[in-house]
Amino acid sequence: MTPLHRWGELLRETLQAIPLGAVRALFVTTLVFLLIWILDENLKTGAVLAVAIQIVIYLVL
Amino acid sequence: MLVAQSTLLTLPDYVVIGIYLIATIALGVAIGRRMQTGTDFFLGGRRLPWWAIGMSLVATDIGGTDIIGVGGAAYSHGLAVANFEWIGCVPAMLVGAFVFIPFFYRTGVYTIPEFLERRYNAGVRTVMALCWLLFMACNLGIMLLASAKMMAAVFGWNEVACILVTALLVGGYTYIGGLAAVVYTDMIQCGVMIAGCLLILVLGLVQVGGVGELRSRLAAAEADDAGEADQVDEAAPREPPGDAVKPEAAGPTGRGGVAVSREAVDASESRAHRASLILPADTDSPFPWPGIYFGLALILSPAYWIGNQAIVQRSLGARSEFEARASYVWGALLKNVIPFIVAVPGLIAVALLPDLPDGDAAIPNLVGVLLPAGLRGLFVAAFLAALMSSIDSYLNSAATIVSNDLYKRFVNRDVSDTRLLAVGRLTTITLVAWAIGFAFFLTALNERAGIYAIFQTLMAFFQGPAFAILLIGILWRRATGNAALIALLCGIATSIALYALNQPAVYRALGWAPLFKIQEPFLYFSIWAFLVSAVVLVGLSLVSRPIHPAQLRYVVGGRMDAEDSGKARCKVGAVPEEEQPGDAGTGKAGLAAPGSVRQTGQGEDSA
Repeated sequence: MTPLHRWGELLRETLQAIPLGAVRALFVTTLVFLLIWILDENLKTGAVLAVAIQIVIYLVL
Repeated sequence: MLVAQSTLLTLPDYVVIGIYLIATIALGVAIGRRMQTGTDFFLGGRRLPWWAIGMSLVATDIGGTDIIGVGGAAYSHGLAVANFEWIGCVPAMLVGAFVFIPFFYRTGVYTIPEFLERRYNAGVRTVMALCWLLFMACNLGIMLLASAKMMAAVFGWNEVACILVTALLVGGYTYIGGLAAVVYTDMIQCGVMIAGCLLILVLGLVQVGGVGELRSRLAAAEADDAGEADQVDEAAPREPPGDAVKPEAAGPTGRGGVAVSREAVDASESRAHRASLILPADTDSPFPWPGIYFGLALILSPAYWIGNQAIVQRSLGARSEFEARASYVWGALLKNVIPFIVAVPGLIAVALLPDLPDGDAAIPNLVGVLLPAGLRGLFVAAFLAALMSSIDSYLNSAATIVSNDLYKRFVNRDVSDTRLLAVGRLTTITLVAWAIGFAFFLTALNERAGIYAIFQTLMAFFQGPAFAILLIGILWRRATGNAALIALLCGIATSIALYALNQPAVYRALGWAPLFKIQEPFLYFSIWAFLVSAVVLVGLSLVSRPIHPAQLRYVVGGRMDAEDSGKARCKVGAVPEEEQPGDAGTGKAGLAAPGSVRQTGQGEDSA
């Protein structure tokens, strides 16, 4: 085991310890931040709709 | 192994395919009649509407092999493959729409390497132009070959004929019509693609009995897979932890014993999350959540939508800066739909055809089961549309890089716009010939190994580092040219080193365990290559002399010249109305603005 492998193992164990519920929250929070940042001739309409669909998808699937 | 189904295509199918091909080529040729200058050829004369560009973006992104391959990956690994179209596209496209694309548009450049020269220096431009040219030229041959192999396997067509006919048809209308022909034919191809795939989705759901029935059948399949995984796992003796997750670690002689059992476990565990977008970090599929979030969403996706010449070039041909933004927003909206029509059919195949030997056989078999004669032709047209829309874009973009970043820079600096059109067309012909030759060369090599898959992996190595120098260059005024060049090379070296250290022959020779434990860890390569490039760029820039203030116009937040964007400062996302090229009264005056910027920029840079 090289130091690189030991460090990789530590990183891998840390990532595996994160529950999938928290990961889903990370994905959705990222999209919510994008939505806040963004906030028929106004591009905001399309952009908000695109991100809102993404948020629903990552909450449901 | 795909199931040959040439008998499935009947005369009505070939009529549908013929109508699609004739309509596409006729449109490309009709557009080509208006071609008079280099700007017409490379940027569609800056007359392209946002709705056509948006559909072209989506069509370019979906290649021929994706139409069958994404459904196949969904069949094998589940819905996680849809991340590449959702979080791997939509956020990056929207950030691109409001921050980066207006920025590129305003500087009036033709190519990303040209922008990098304005921001850094000529060395960065040349290295990036050569990297992109190598990537695109090789990718043209790979796309031709991979799609021809698929057509030969699925439709029973001759592989050599597929390569030649595809290359000549696409090369023909791209040669005549340039970017405008590419964008407008892509628009038709996007429509055909969506129609063909939507047909399979709707008929598949009807056959299964609706969405509710599909979900319950997937749940039942997952329960079976989980049970199968447990049974096989108990039967197989435990392996040492270092090699446990790499089936090939057992070596050629190990197959048939423990390794085969382990593969069965891997496949079953991978399928046990079929209906989930988010897979655990220790999944054996290529889509663990850290790779998807950090590698795809934060690095590879922005690198593709903000830094890929074939993608960005069409938005630079928009009628105005506003339309360039609008094209990306429209593309992002369309992207929300794509996984439903290309990935979900793979899940439908799980319900209807659960015992296929290979994921790539899922969609062709589904077409055979679901579609009557005539409608199968529409699916084949969708496949061809996806293939042609990707090849034409890479062909035109590679010609743009050769003409603008290499010919105009090293051969004839004072080349006229009309002469540049001839150079672009000659380059297009040369690239078509190269792509055909490279496809045949790979075919010869492929008799011994899956060499073209390795080529594709190797060529993707520079995208993370390239994005690092582009992103930091735009957002940070201290980044310097020489530091960017060294950072780019360090990032590429990191990718290659990680790839090599993950090859069984190499890590065994060193007595090491593999660095990554998932199949095809390309998402992880991109993370580390990006980080190494970013750290090197920041570190070296801090210890070197600051760049000339004139180049700070190409940093977000930097003061732009009056010719570039009026007198106000540019904040992220904010473009004062008086700065916009389209705001100069008539559309014609608006279109002229970027050209004047371009001349100004060049004069100063060369001074």
